[in-house]
Amino acid sequence: MKARYLSILGKLMLGLLLSLTVNAAEPVTSGSVTIPNPPKAKTNFSAEQPCVEPIDVMRRSHGLFLKHSRNDTMRHGMRTSNYSLVTCINCHVTSDEHGNYPSVKEGTEHFCRSCHSYAAVTIDCFQCHASHPEEVISSKVNEVSSIKLDSLGTPNTSP
Amino acid sequence: MGGGNKEALMGFWTTFYALSFYVATLILILGVGYKIYQYTKTPAPLKIPTTPAPLTTGGVVIRMLLEVILFKSLFRSNKWIWLFAMIFHGALWVILLRHLRYFIDPQWVIYPIWELVELIQPFGKYASFAMLFGLLGLLARRLFVERMRYISSASDYLMLVLLLVIGVSGVLMSFVTRTDIVQFKAFMLSVISFQWQNFELSAYQMPPDSMLLVHLAAVILLMIVFPFSKLLHAPGVFFSPGRNQVDNAREKRHVAPWAIKQFEAPQT
Repeated sequence: MKARYLSILGKLMLGLLLSLTVNAAEPVTSGSVTIPNPPKAKTNFSAEQPCVEPIDVMRRSHGLFLKHSRNDTMRHGMRTSNYSLVTCINCHVTSDEHGNYPSVKEGTEHFCRSCHSYAAVTIDCFQCHASHPEEVISSKVNEVSSIKLDSLGTPNTSP
Repeated sequence: MGGGNKEALMGFWTTFYALSFYVATLILILGVGYKIYQYTKTPAPLKIPTTPAPLTTGGVVIRMLLEVILFKSLFRSNKWIWLFAMIFHGALWVILLRHLRYFIDPQWVIYPIWELVELIQPFGKYASFAMLFGLLGLLARRLFVERMRYISSASDYLMLVLLLVIGVSGVLMSFVTRTDIVQFKAFMLSVISFQWQNFELSAYQMPPDSMLLVHLAAVILLMIVFPFSKLLHAPGVFFSPGRNQVDNAREKRHVAPWAIKQFEAPQT
């Protein structure tokens, strides 16, 4: 009786293995399983290395780097540029053809969100920090301040 | 180790863990299903609810819930064991819920459900320490209480050790060594939706991190021993005759079907 069960189990495993090899010969597709597809970075860090650490390391430990960098900067006053969130954002967050940046609050277009929403990891960096590259923010600030000046009727708005 | 070797190794672990996961799931589901079938078929010839017992079926439901959720009879017999047991089981539930993120593609569910999965994450992260604390307490009970040590067998220790290995490797992955959780999720989703052709692509293969391999090996072993071990107390508690019977011995005649067949069959 036991031998019969074992042989059935053996056949099952063999079947699984066989179907695995049969499938492997077919064209490679992702099927119904989705996987994050974050936008490409703007530049490589160096000729040998695309990011500030090897990709494997970045995928696993970027959160630790950012957290330690935050503690060093905020609690110990050591501002280093190694793992700067602003530099990450400047290189990784890209705009569409109209110059608009993706939202960090919804969708999967934003570089950070594409993986974080997939893995159910919430980010609180952007409650304080900008989720878009710096220059856009500064031009936005100028825009806002000029609007304010407009409404005050300051001389620079008169023809 | 060259790149080719690493690729081949990842391919091996991917196949190995995918197959082990299927085998373990089959053993778990069929094994526990068979045990539950066996429990339902086991005759309970006597009316033996532990008194004071509820007089109605509704009362029994409440009694069982108190037993299953709050471990009422353990609370009455031993407060400190109850405390460790509650900490361990409660934390285990939260941790299991946290792991839902590896088995659900956000596109499969409506957004509020995914939001709940996101919400549970930090709680699950810290529940892992509570689980380890509870497990260590239960292990200390076996090791340092004289009469408990006397009746403890190897399998009693095995379950605690397996759960400790799972807990410690999990905590290490959360806080120290890390793994590529996105790649692991792609692997797991491919496994549970039978998309084996994905394993050709490295983005869907098992991340080759030793802690992850240890964690999953221990989980797979636990799934396999479940139907053959004391872990069956999970479905078994619902079948305790002292707890699941209504105290209506005088209102209603209680008789096992086989007894009717043997002693009260119409004479021909």
